[in-house]
Amino acid sequence: MTARVREAVRPAAAETVPPAARRRAVRLPGPAGAWSTAGLVVLAVVVWIAGSAASLWSEATLPKPGSVWTAFTAAVRTGQFWADCGSTVWEVGMAFAGGAVLGLVVGIVFWKAPTAGKIFEPYLVSFYAVPMVLFYPVMIVIVGINQWPVVILSTVMAFIPMALNTWVGLRGIRPVHLKLARSLGCGRRQTLLHIALPAAAPFLLAGLRLAGVYALIGAIAMEFTTASSGIGHRIRYLYESFDNATMVAYILVVFVISLALTSALALLERALLKGRSGS
Amino acid sequence: MATAGLKLDGVTVRFDANGDDEPVTAVDGITHEIGEHRFVSIVGPSGCGKSTLLNVVAGLQRPTSGTVEINGARVTGPDRRTGMVFQEDSTLPWKTVTENVVFGMRVLGVPKGERAARAREMVELVGLQGFESAYPSMLSGGMRQRVALARTLAQRPSVLLMDEPFAALDQQTRLLLGAEVRRIWGQTQQTVLFVTHDMSEALLMSQQVWVMSYRPGRIIDVIDVDLPDDRDAGVVSTPRFNDLRNRIWESLQKEAMRGFMAESA
Repeated sequence: MTARVREAVRPAAAETVPPAARRRAVRLPGPAGAWSTAGLVVLAVVVWIAGSAASLWSEATLPKPGSVWTAFTAAVRTGQFWADCGSTVWEVGMAFAGGAVLGLVVGIVFWKAPTAGKIFEPYLVSFYAVPMVLFYPVMIVIVGINQWPVVILSTVMAFIPMALNTWVGLRGIRPVHLKLARSLGCGRRQTLLHIALPAAAPFLLAGLRLAGVYALIGAIAMEFTTASSGIGHRIRYLYESFDNATMVAYILVVFVISLALTSALALLERALLKGRSGS
Repeated sequence: MATAGLKLDGVTVRFDANGDDEPVTAVDGITHEIGEHRFVSIVGPSGCGKSTLLNVVAGLQRPTSGTVEINGARVTGPDRRTGMVFQEDSTLPWKTVTENVVFGMRVLGVPKGERAARAREMVELVGLQGFESAYPSMLSGGMRQRVALARTLAQRPSVLLMDEPFAALDQQTRLLLGAEVRRIWGQTQQTVLFVTHDMSEALLMSQQVWVMSYRPGRIIDVIDVDLPDDRDAGVVSTPRFNDLRNRIWESLQKEAMRGFMAESA
């Protein structure tokens, strides 16, 4: 029964994690995995150093690690670097929080009102495929040239996977759990908090991870295109002024932010889903 | 004469036509009583409305007509005087054994201090000592049903409803768990309504067996099980057990065939 429900749901909600995969794929690597991941980074750096030393590519294509490091240490001494990072982190944080909360609420509403869900789902799914950046000019007209167009559009990007995952997760609750809630005389609130949301937790957390990733992608891409502040904007500015070393330094900063965000969410997931593995 | 623990009076449940489905009378005018502390099994073919009847007693399903009384007071909605053990695994995978056992009590508002004491007692009663902080994913199907049983017993229901609780388990686990439930019932003395489609299980477990017909679901035979109270699985080889089994099968055979024909049509 549950299997059939999930089956029916899958084609529409393309960005949800299939139940079989979610049990394994989402786990943080164990000690062995962590070492091999770190090893891979070291290897990449070694290749970078060796390749630059052997002049396999020109300084204009990919600057030497040394030049990037110099550019990086110079950049962090400027107020601008911290202002850019702060701006991006703030935008990502707002978009992530807003998208997660909005997505959770909409997912719950769709679950409670399946007709509304059926009506909106196709739009939600196809909205996924629309590059949000297209709406940037419209947003500027509406809210002005500041950080808000970035925040709003990134929120929309983060909201969609969260809403779809929440909805799929709630629809996949085993009927016996809802029956248990009913037999105990649980009210709506109790059923939602004690049964429905914990039961859907693997999907909620998968949605949360996607929301984080999309918020970051959205913010950087939007900044890159048109904004007047933030890391994305700075990367584009540096690119246009041929300052490759500093540009690569900024790109690596995006890597670090992305790694911090996904690791934090993976840790959260591991903490909240303990005991559920292998079922 | 024991007081009526559970009294069914003309209980009828009709499901309206739904799309292609014809209207179905799942339960038809069942009027029966179960004395307090008695253990009654219902056997019947698949689709005879056994589970529907249990749902009515639990207050999960409103009868189309008729009433259910527990200890003289009517059941009007989900009723905390009943506790239900389901066929499917109903343990919550995000909670440990103890947390699962506590869950029912927490929802029902049992004071915190008492919950812990009762949980300990029930975990011991169902034989899960040492697994208190295990998660269901680490337990076998039989052990998960023990957890569900402990959770239900911890709620201290006066009527224990069991909806084919062993159906998903293998034969040996069923026998063992059946004997456990009887032992536990000997201690807790609840009124038990136990649904099964296994005649031997019904005879091994209960003091009385109700045979239910295929739609419309009626009680077509009531058999008092006069086997020894301390019976074990060995009782199946006694002549008396065979007589009782044959009598149930006589009533059940026709209904099972009717159900089979209707379901496969």
